Amino acid sequence: MKKAVLLLSIFSFAFAQEVKKEQESAPADRSLQLRSKYDERLKALQITPTGQRSLLNLSLIVDTSFVARNKNDQEFKKLEIPGLFHRHEGNGHGHEHGALNEKRGFNLNYAELFLYAPVDPFFDLYATIPFSEGGAEVEEAYAVTRGLPFGFQFKVGKFRSSFGRLNAQHPHAWDFANQPLVYKVFLGDDGLKEKGVQLNWLAPTPFYLLFGVEVLQGENEQSFGTEGFKVDDVEVGDTRKPNLYLGFVKTSFDVGNLSVLTGLSFATGHSRVNHLGEDDPHAFAGKTKLYGFDLTAKYMIDSYRYISFQGEYLYRDQKGTEYEFHDNTLETEELKKKQGGFYTQLVFKFDRRLRAGIQYNLINKNNVKKNGVKEDLPKNLPAYYAMLEYNPTEFSRIRFQVGQNRAFFHNGERKTVNEFILQFNFAIGAHGAHPF
Amino acid sequence: MRVLVLFLLFLTVSFAKLKVVATYPWIGELVKEIGKDRVSLYVIARGTDDPHFVVPKPSHIAKMRDADLLIVQGASLEVGFLPPLLQQSNNPKIQPGRQGYLDLSEFVELIEKPANISRAMGDVHPEGNPHYQLDPHNISPLARAIAERLCQLDNPNCAYYRGNLEDFLKRWNTRLTEWDREFAKLKGIKVIQYHKLYDYLLRRYGMVLVGTLEPLPGIPPTGKHIEGLISQAQGVKFILQDVYHEKRTAQFVAQRLNAKVVILPHDVGAMPEAKDLFSLFDEILRRFSQ
Repeated sequence: MKKAVLLLSIFSFAFAQEVKKEQESAPADRSLQLRSKYDERLKALQITPTGQRSLLNLSLIVDTSFVARNKNDQEFKKLEIPGLFHRHEGNGHGHEHGALNEKRGFNLNYAELFLYAPVDPFFDLYATIPFSEGGAEVEEAYAVTRGLPFGFQFKVGKFRSSFGRLNAQHPHAWDFANQPLVYKVFLGDDGLKEKGVQLNWLAPTPFYLLFGVEVLQGENEQSFGTEGFKVDDVEVGDTRKPNLYLGFVKTSFDVGNLSVLTGLSFATGHSRVNHLGEDDPHAFAGKTKLYGFDLTAKYMIDSYRYISFQGEYLYRDQKGTEYEFHDNTLETEELKKKQGGFYTQLVFKFDRRLRAGIQYNLINKNNVKKNGVKEDLPKNLPAYYAMLEYNPTEFSRIRFQVGQNRAFFHNGERKTVNEFILQFNFAIGAHGAHPF
Repeated sequence: MRVLVLFLLFLTVSFAKLKVVATYPWIGELVKEIGKDRVSLYVIARGTDDPHFVVPKPSHIAKMRDADLLIVQGASLEVGFLPPLLQQSNNPKIQPGRQGYLDLSEFVELIEKPANISRAMGDVHPEGNPHYQLDPHNISPLARAIAERLCQLDNPNCAYYRGNLEDFLKRWNTRLTEWDREFAKLKGIKVIQYHKLYDYLLRRYGMVLVGTLEPLPGIPPTGKHIEGLISQAQGVKFILQDVYHEKRTAQFVAQRLNAKVVILPHDVGAMPEAKDLFSLFDEILRRFSQ
């Protein structure tokens, strides 16, 4: 009892102190109080942490490349990864611009307009508008809160999902010219970019610990999809909308000069794949779960040099109904896919302006069952890349990349793709620094 | 006894210290002088780092999440790492424009402000040269600015902070007179430096800057530029070198010009001798007169 009273008195004392503090620092007049509060918040509009006093930060990033490949463009387009990936054309959604470094010879991958500014004291707005030769698209346009209490942050609009490590990064921040194989097969050439909302919470721990949930429309071409379709007289309806629910947790700690960042991600949603307009018409309706694990370990040698290891494992569990035509008759099959793979890479920045790196990709699980019968699919699908980079400043980059991809097949036969890419990347304007 | 322990425990919790995050060690030293044990301090960069290239580690984000005050050097020096950290800190208190964001560059007169700006000029900061901490006369107004902000955020301890400020200024001014007298002996000597890092110090004490090893700010030395520099420079006594850049170029130029390479700390912790703000300038002086 004595203890309780003591505790209570301490609490009330502490509280009294708080109240006193409030009163002392605020002017007595209520309107003055409001004004001083508002004045201070207005300042946020004029001052960005870059020190630039401008209302809009505008930058343009241009990426262009020269590609040499042992397969011509027609052959390359026909290549598929059995059970995982094939190119599809003309079904009317997605694909305003193609994959990066798609054609032999010269490519203009993108000229990306990036806009950022505080909207008001409460929101920041970001937009990424890549222009290709074919036109422009709104790749990202989202607002982020700048003033939520208790470590919360809310994001709304169209944005790159924080699933995994690489997905939230823009292509110009990647260490290699193309995205890893597991990203290509599970998330597509554009990654998981969706309309929706994200809520994240930074835990009040002495080390970095971030939790996040996202509710997304779920229109990803490789793993999800919302639009129903009609096959002969079978009608498959739209999915629930929004369709994709996602959660992630990320944590980081330092051991001396070594920083480790690791995370787990999970996404679940319905799938609608409509490839009925193609030579080999087929469609799929079902559910997909996607799991991701990522680990980055970066050892800083000094201000300019580091060695960085990065790896991600992605696993997809897909169940549903496949609609296929055999000799012009519709066949409906129960389809189950359990597939997984990873990439690991090592990047060595050995000079202020030079970086070298290697990347190993492997899809090591490709278990597809139709009506309970296991398909005979290849499950050892590797790809290897090596790059050397020269960065005259933070705003320009010249990258040489060589690679071999042994994951592609055509008519059941493995087609090894060897390629050489010379990539140029330039940034002008006020472009913010990249996170870790 | 147990009650006493419990009481003390609660006392520390209820009088939670003001949490301050500083971007560079020298700012942290000022916070320590003024806040002493009534603030808790976290410093992002290390003294041995190139101040332009600090890694935005997630561990910094965790410390910024709960900070009551973020003190920055400003003038775009932190542009390469601070914006993503701030954005991810999920902390409204320390966002630019709020009371918990203190940009020290607003309290000193910046030199070398460019009339116009293009990236073709290298890494030029539109606000002017950001390395203002190396003029010891700039330290006093900055100490005042920090004390004032601590007062605003933590009013009950204001008298304590002001007392510490006065004590610090008294000690600082005593040393400042000594430094002024000693550095005055270097007036008129010609120096070359790697980066435009020591300009405030040179300007204060009338040393003559002949050129920089970098052809443009942030661009590493080229053979052509170095040859040009060597052919033009005459009577150069010192090549001023920071701790984080390569030292070969400085040694090469020193040999050709019959000058001496002087490695100078630019921040507290850049070398073991510079362990606080006082010894930072002591060490700079010592290395000049060696």
